[in-house]
Amino acid sequence: MKSGFAVFIAVILTLGGSWAGFVVATTAQLGTAKQTTVLVTGDNWPQQRTGEATLGMQIYRANGCVACHTEQVRQEGVSYDVVLTGAGKNPSNVSNVLATLKLNDLTKEDADAAAGKITDAGGKSEAHLNATGVDIKRGWGLRHSVAADYLYDAPVQLGTLRAGPDLANVGARLTDANWHLNHLYAPGIVSGSRMPSFKFLFEVRKAGAAPSADALLNLPKEFAPADGYEVVPKPEAKQLVAYLLSLRADAPLYEAPFTPATPAKP
Amino acid sequence: MSDESKSCSVPSTAEPTATRSTVPMWIIVVTLLLLFLGFVFFDRHSGWFDSKVYAPYASAEQLDNAQPKSGAAAQMAAGKKNYEMFCGACHGTDGMGKAGQAPPLAGSEIVIAKGFHRLSMIPLEGLAGQIKIKGQDWNLNMAPMGAALPDADLAAVLTYLRNSWGNKAGEVTADDVKAIRAEIKVPQAIQGDKLMAMPE
Repeated sequence: MKSGFAVFIAVILTLGGSWAGFVVATTAQLGTAKQTTVLVTGDNWPQQRTGEATLGMQIYRANGCVACHTEQVRQEGVSYDVVLTGAGKNPSNVSNVLATLKLNDLTKEDADAAAGKITDAGGKSEAHLNATGVDIKRGWGLRHSVAADYLYDAPVQLGTLRAGPDLANVGARLTDANWHLNHLYAPGIVSGSRMPSFKFLFEVRKAGAAPSADALLNLPKEFAPADGYEVVPKPEAKQLVAYLLSLRADAPLYEAPFTPATPAKP
Repeated sequence: MSDESKSCSVPSTAEPTATRSTVPMWIIVVTLLLLFLGFVFFDRHSGWFDSKVYAPYASAEQLDNAQPKSGAAAQMAAGKKNYEMFCGACHGTDGMGKAGQAPPLAGSEIVIAKGFHRLSMIPLEGLAGQIKIKGQDWNLNMAPMGAALPDADLAAVLTYLRNSWGNKAGEVTADDVKAIRAEIKVPQAIQGDKLMAMPE
């Protein structure tokens, strides 16, 4: 082989190039990621999961939830709303100006222009920043997902297919643990749900004189067990629900700023 | 046989070898063009690999411009930062105070009062002597921690502690602090009973 050395160099360059691109560059970019703070409240983000939720993450992984659910919110753009915060000394003047202005769904330039006109009229206003996009319209989150959101995920289960809804913000959307347990046991309860049943995470057993503390009580008739029996979630089911409730994408961060709907009103 | 071997330019006995040929110019041009377009794409979409910049923001500068600069959000953030630096050591980052030393601010009568004149006096002038907060007597002097703070920062701190830990008392602006600061002629620690005699 006459050009062995050239082949060797070419292989080194190809493998080295992809290693540099996929490993070195990404580590340099995100390897030092730390907890950040939430805008407005200054709380730490993300919070370390509880032990139960961390175990639930492995249940989520083991049951292949990631095959049908994603954990990433996409954002297409931003829009601004101008909100009047004070009418000043000449309210009628301000309201006359307001009547001529478009206040919602603006670009930054238009929002600044509108705010300028309100200030000229003697009023006070605030610009509210909103994330826009299909996912956000569906209520799947309030902003795009950022690397910091996955700081305590091992492995990160972004998902690639959405046979079911995105779960990045499910802990903020559906806050009731019992709803999740019922839905996991009998997805048919929720109209439109195409999820398979996860009955094996529950135990159907003979009920005692009083129902167990965590038995599912509100099952509709067609899903309820026979008389004298009760459905009790196994620890795995409770851990999975704890994990689902820990999934949130509703805090404004430096990387993904927006104005919360109900700001801490000073 | 002999005719065929004559017509062939390479003698059939020779072993074929790979030769070095020049890379066509168009491949070089296309590669460079793709590289250029790739960099333009990254420049438009990730602010030169900045870990904080995500689409729809194209640069760190654009992202910075999108941060809340004024209004409630910015004031609460600045207030929290300053509170934890100057006040948190005694009054607690959770506003619960320190037993025997500093009274709690969460639910304190002075903090959640309608007016903030009395409240503003404490960091501006300091406090001495006994004071009663949430039914308990407190008796440790407080230095004028806020006297050196700019009006906007002190206003942010006051706003923060009036609206955190369950308090809901309303905003204090830099102009308010400026006006109260102007009232103070001779800075000296106020006695607790004198403070309570002041208007709210």
